[in-house]
Amino acid sequence: MFVLSGYEYLLGFLLICSLVPLLALSASKLLRPSGRNPERIITYESGMEPIGGAWIQFNIRYYMFALVFVVFDVETVFLYPWAVAFSSLGLLAFIEALIFIAILVIALVYAWRKGALEWS
Amino acid sequence: MNLAEGVQIVSFGILAVMMIGTALGVVLLPNIVYSAFLLGGVFISIAGMYLLLNADFVAAAQVLIYIGAVNVLILFAIMLVNKREDFAPLRNAWVRPVFTGLVSVGLFALLGTMVLVTPWALSTQVSAGDSAIFLIGQHFFTDFLLPFELASILLLMAMVGAIILARREFLPDQVMSPTKQQPILTLPERPRELVSVSSDKSSNLDDGRRG
Repeated sequence: MFVLSGYEYLLGFLLICSLVPLLALSASKLLRPSGRNPERIITYESGMEPIGGAWIQFNIRYYMFALVFVVFDVETVFLYPWAVAFSSLGLLAFIEALIFIAILVIALVYAWRKGALEWS
Repeated sequence: MNLAEGVQIVSFGILAVMMIGTALGVVLLPNIVYSAFLLGGVFISIAGMYLLLNADFVAAAQVLIYIGAVNVLILFAIMLVNKREDFAPLRNAWVRPVFTGLVSVGLFALLGTMVLVTPWALSTQVSAGDSAIFLIGQHFFTDFLLPFELASILLLMAMVGAIILARREFLPDQVMSPTKQQPILTLPERPRELVSVSSDKSSNLDDGRRG
């Protein structure tokens, strides 16, 4: 039995959204010229000619940013119920949430001091 | 206004087909990047299933954590380590799909009998619905307070461990021999051939600042 309310809008939103790429791609297929120019199959990269292949090793520094992001992503999930139930929880819960955030701020400070947020 | 029964059945069917199709794509596609993106499709359809089961907070957490974090990390890991290499073909290459098929069929039979044999106790209780997040929040700060605070310490530990591992501070010298580590840490930058254009641009900018 489905008891959540308001999800018929989500369903309509999804239906309309799935039409957007279909319509965009089919409309451009109807309108564009169909020449087979070898330049057309080059990867578009901000108007510059791409150099080398796309299968390269990326820098490990990207991974550091991803890890920092993951920690605060999980924090968001934990703080969301607190924000919803905030009005009925009172001052004690506010302090408890502040402790939670403070421990994660320590993590952020650690990452900052260790240079995980810098691109050097 | 809630979703009608027929709409639920149709969306369950679409989600199930999407989930099985993308999961098969994850396993069967030879390109590992496509597999990682299709894994995101599996996670999205699981989130839809959670919504159909009246668990909207679990669905939101699924989207945030599995698609936003886990799948992104998997993609990052692939892009960090993956280099297209030409491997020499193995001699007895047919052994691998046969064994994989045997193990998969055995696992499928095991799980299938488990599903059929288990007496599922369907709860007749009406689920919490929209107030579920509210209830979760109240439980977090009353009777599940200690696990909630421990979660932040767990996250702190994960962050510290990840930074130490990624910076390779405490690895022995044999592991991080500089000749082997060098190709991983160098940024594969393209040669810069845009000197004339960029100098023109910067001079234009300087002119604009002066004017």
